[in-house]
Amino acid sequence: MQFFVLAHGALGIWDELIFLGVAVLFLIFMAVSWVRSRAIPPTIEDTPMPDDISADKSHFRLD
Amino acid sequence: MTHRHLWAIFALMLGLFSLVPSTSAHGYLVRAIPENRAVLDRAPTRVQYWFSEGLEAQFSTINIRDQQGNILASGGVSETDASLLTARLPNDLPDGAYVVELRPAFASDGHVYAESRVFFIGEAIGGIDIRTDTTAIPLEVFWRFLAVGASLVLFGTLALYGWVLLPAWGNKTHKAGWLPPRLMNRLHALIGFSLLVGFIGNGLALIQQTMIFFNIPFDQALQPQFWELVRVGSRFGDVWMWRMGLMSLLGAMFVATLIYQKRYPEVVYPFWIAGLWVGALIIGTFSIVSHAAGALTIAWVGVFVDWTHGLGVAVWVGGLFALMLCLPVALAPYPNDQRLSATRAVVNRFSAVAIGAVAVVIASGVYSASNWIYGTEELQSSFGGALIAKVVMILPLLGIGGLNHLLAHPEQYARLRKWVNPRLTHFIRITRIEVLLASAVLIAACTLSATPIPTPAFIQSETQTPSAIQQIGDMTVSMSISPGGTGVNTFDIALARGDVAISDADVVMINSSPSADTRRDVHISEPIDGGVYVSAGAEIDHEGVWWSSVNITENGVTQRVAFAWTINADAGVIVSLPPTPIQLLALGGVFGAVSFALSPIVRRRIKKMGMNTFTVSFAVAATLLTIFALVIGWQVMENAQRQYLATLNPPPVVINPTLPTQESLNLGEALFNDVCVAWHNTRDFDELVSRLNRTRDETLYSAFIDGWRDLPPCARDVALEARWDMVNYIRGWQLQTP
Repeated sequence: MQFFVLAHGALGIWDELIFLGVAVLFLIFMAVSWVRSRAIPPTIEDTPMPDDISADKSHFRLD
Repeated sequence: MTHRHLWAIFALMLGLFSLVPSTSAHGYLVRAIPENRAVLDRAPTRVQYWFSEGLEAQFSTINIRDQQGNILASGGVSETDASLLTARLPNDLPDGAYVVELRPAFASDGHVYAESRVFFIGEAIGGIDIRTDTTAIPLEVFWRFLAVGASLVLFGTLALYGWVLLPAWGNKTHKAGWLPPRLMNRLHALIGFSLLVGFIGNGLALIQQTMIFFNIPFDQALQPQFWELVRVGSRFGDVWMWRMGLMSLLGAMFVATLIYQKRYPEVVYPFWIAGLWVGALIIGTFSIVSHAAGALTIAWVGVFVDWTHGLGVAVWVGGLFALMLCLPVALAPYPNDQRLSATRAVVNRFSAVAIGAVAVVIASGVYSASNWIYGTEELQSSFGGALIAKVVMILPLLGIGGLNHLLAHPEQYARLRKWVNPRLTHFIRITRIEVLLASAVLIAACTLSATPIPTPAFIQSETQTPSAIQQIGDMTVSMSISPGGTGVNTFDIALARGDVAISDADVVMINSSPSADTRRDVHISEPIDGGVYVSAGAEIDHEGVWWSSVNITENGVTQRVAFAWTINADAGVIVSLPPTPIQLLALGGVFGAVSFALSPIVRRRIKKMGMNTFTVSFAVAATLLTIFALVIGWQVMENAQRQYLATLNPPPVVINPTLPTQESLNLGEALFNDVCVAWHNTRDFDELVSRLNRTRDETLYSAFIDGWRDLPPCARDVALEARWDMVNYIRGWQLQTP
């Protein structure tokens, strides 16, 4: 009995492998980014709000 | 601009789109035997319909009806070719009209459509009404809007959080996600709502797919025995399961976030960042079952470009939708002047991300369209109309996005300060208009996905199936090759004596190309009803003259008939096309756009890694050189393979000009027994005969002239043409010992 996971060979003999490879790769990236972001918090500008509110600032600390 | 104006724009866009007729199928018929409305002298042994994509074997059907509507025969997907719907016909069909009902279910995207074709035996009859079911399925457009829209908003919200909100509004005092709780709650609600809508949309998708697979109404499709079969027995079901699994994973991650955010606030950020990868995979599941999976030009590239397109749309449109819902909550506690400052900070960031996403969307959209639009004919189809409507609707969206960018960067457009004087209300209103337009474009995109791809003009040319009749004694031998082009063919041989079919003969056959002088395996034809013997093979691999040598054994007596065919590649079933210059250009555009979109991230990484210009240049050069070396290596391997094959089968120096008919075999036998007596009953001759399946005609010819191993030359005094009769006679032994 043939066991199909995703592509049924519709895109060639390696389609199952490629699809699963991509899915596994992304899930590994997911795990790695979870671990990394758990260990390293994001770089956030922590400047208070400027006096001149009309100045063009790319960061606005939201309280 | 009032709400009434906004809704008027939305209604206008939808109205524009509704002008496009939509239907519900993908893939198309590329070859039909018999052709539609063909008038045949005698009943065919079978009907065959090749499609541009593989079909779901369990859900594809074909029925043949007579004029009274009685089903005469049924068939299904061929065991040897997943893109072929075929049915054997009963014997001796009387003259009249016959209707073939086709119901292919395409494996790439699960679409099914019903189409009827007609053929006549004897003479054409007027008034036959053939039915082609190309009605739209609004439910499909609806579930696509829900499921695709929810996935776009999911990924867009995740991307907005990581790439826009955090760098623009991040605050280290809020450890649970680094944003104020009111905003995190809104984002969580958005994710929860998207997941809920996504699950509902996917549930409807399974039911709608069940409806079209089984051709049953909605209430019947709700019964588990039907949708369960689609879920476990089709490619659509496989991909559906993966999508539901990934959505469940994302759902579980966010439930965990909600549960633990108070006890472990630092885990909220990692869950959001990790969720981005799952969101990307969810969008990818739509690409696997999209138009792109059935592309004739490198379907893999089509699927990945479609995925890139989806991700770009999600970042742009999904992010915009999330931003519109987040802005009021985020800005609520601030007075007007601070609101403007906060809005500009976030719009600045979003604008930079959206520009990259828009570049990716446009480039990937052009590539995807180039898979189906080859000229103006395709643009005049329903698909072309839907595509034009979608593009027309995207243009104002791009314009408004540009206006937003302008408002967010007044310092860059100082010359326009007279007109550009950003106020908070501008941003809010423009974002609302953008979201409304984006919703209309999304509906357009979903309807486009449910619109059949146009059949390319070059596929629609009708070609004749090679067939011929020969008389040998009192036996009539009819042979046809279907479809009769290069590639896989079926070989039908019908035997009759007068009006009586011959059903108890043994039929073996071999095809050969005299100009290439290559040998293939012998076909042992399978007898079916009505004196018809069939076999299939893919040995016809190039255009030109081909011979079919058929040995028919009846009551211990073997007779030979030979057919000569001129094979035309146009008659073959087109299963793939090389990329066109426009597609290569579009693909280059996609790479360029993706590089442009990712360049800020790459630049940041490079900065973090402390690399200097030299090391970066060195790394880029090394990467390019590696890619170059891989491409060159691939080319070298391909060339080596071609040269190896050419060495194995070089063009023959002498070409057999004599068709191996019974007459030629008789002449050859007489000559061989006369002049090559020394060959009889020798070990070397037995060895030569045993390797006939890999011995070329020119080798046999040369053996007669120059000898072979210890076999002496024996035909030097024989006339040139007669030597080929001897070759044909010896070759005939291959069919006696298959």
